[in-house]
Amino acid sequence: MEMRALVDAPALRARPVDPDAVLVAEARDEPQAFLALYDRYFDGVLGYVRMRIRDESTCEDVASTVFTTALSKLRRFRGDGTFAGWLFQIARNAVRDVQRKPAAVALADEATSSEPDPEERFLAYERAAHLHSLIRLLTPEQQHLLALRYGAGLAFDEIGAIVGAAPGTVRVRMHRILEELRRRYPNDD
Amino acid sequence: MTTDDLEHDLNALAEPRPEDEQLRLAIRATLGEQLQERPRRRRHPRLVLAAAAGAAATVAAAIVAMVGTGGSGGPATANAAILAHVSRAMSPPANLIVHVSETGLNPDGTPVGVEWWQETNAPYAMRLIKGPVGHEIEGAADGATQSQYDPATNTIYQQPDSRAPTLVDPIETVRAALANGTAQAEGTVTIDGQPLYKIELPNGVIGYFDRTNYRPVYLDNPQGDGSVVRTRVVTYEELPLTPHNESLLSIAAQHPDARVETGPAPGPTGQK
Repeated sequence: MEMRALVDAPALRARPVDPDAVLVAEARDEPQAFLALYDRYFDGVLGYVRMRIRDESTCEDVASTVFTTALSKLRRFRGDGTFAGWLFQIARNAVRDVQRKPAAVALADEATSSEPDPEERFLAYERAAHLHSLIRLLTPEQQHLLALRYGAGLAFDEIGAIVGAAPGTVRVRMHRILEELRRRYPNDD
Repeated sequence: MTTDDLEHDLNALAEPRPEDEQLRLAIRATLGEQLQERPRRRRHPRLVLAAAAGAAATVAAAIVAMVGTGGSGGPATANAAILAHVSRAMSPPANLIVHVSETGLNPDGTPVGVEWWQETNAPYAMRLIKGPVGHEIEGAADGATQSQYDPATNTIYQQPDSRAPTLVDPIETVRAALANGTAQAEGTVTIDGQPLYKIELPNGVIGYFDRTNYRPVYLDNPQGDGSVVRTRVVTYEELPLTPHNESLLSIAAQHPDARVETGPAPGPTGQK
């Protein structure tokens, strides 16, 4: 009886303490604390950008832009969403700004590398280039979701908090995106 | 094509790379710089001078350029990107030999030069030729033996030395500062008509880097007496580990007819 009551009781809706919020508050008083946020999100932001931009040099520039912009605008972050959501929105905007410009003609580093197995590297490069071109065919929202998942490595609930959707909804959308990519992505490598 | 295969390829697009750490440090350094500037509302354009006034006699004429002063994130972003590119250009992969030669003038006007070869994987064997032109010393180390060559007697002096070969060279100083995030990009200067990125190190060394391949072109080396010796990087190349190139690391291979003796080199050639 007691067990049944516990199971039936409404879930507590209290939000757990967000460690990012603590760091953001600290960074407002002591700006050096921003570096802790930077360390936490560097890999995720770089992965996000790499998922959406093919050229490695441009990726590096964009990753740098994301963090320098975030630092300069930190006081404008009101905290009504997550810091991650705010940061990845900056990343999304930075990617959009770059993609509006004409594409650079430089080949990615992989194409000119002198490392062993050039044929294998070339095939991998071609495959990556093709996948990138397919990702660019997705809608901006789909690209954003895909990059959050496979670039930044976020879980469905984390993505849900960023885009304002339930984790289940994110999972369904992601499934559709993968299906769409899978249909177009050849298996003839 | 299964979903697993697709997810594998998607993950591969964004997977971390060895050079990410250098980028992380470079952006971190830029953020640190931005944090120091934070109290100031507007950043005033800075005139970038080539070297201290006392060193002017030894420094070739440098035409100084103003650095761009764009809006938020502009210069800082550009600087981080420059540091990242230079860091990558100066971080060769394993299984190569880096060959560098530099020339310059001492404060007294005598020409000096340094040329070295070093492999990029253990034991990091290296050979170095260094000193005033005509009076260079030549040494080598391979993690087991240290060798010095005396051209006057055509003798190689060898002694056991298991320490990892350590290169004392401005190039290495620049590389280390880039890796630990203490180097600072200071915009663009034009030297002898060539626009170059300027990067300052905490110990006073200043490097000037090509804007297309990010390789070093000039290095300003502060001396103990307050003067600065500027060297021009004549060669910066990465060589494959072929038998011929490997012989460049060996004093014995370069001086096959030299007499070999065990023990430290006598006289000035024993100094490093």
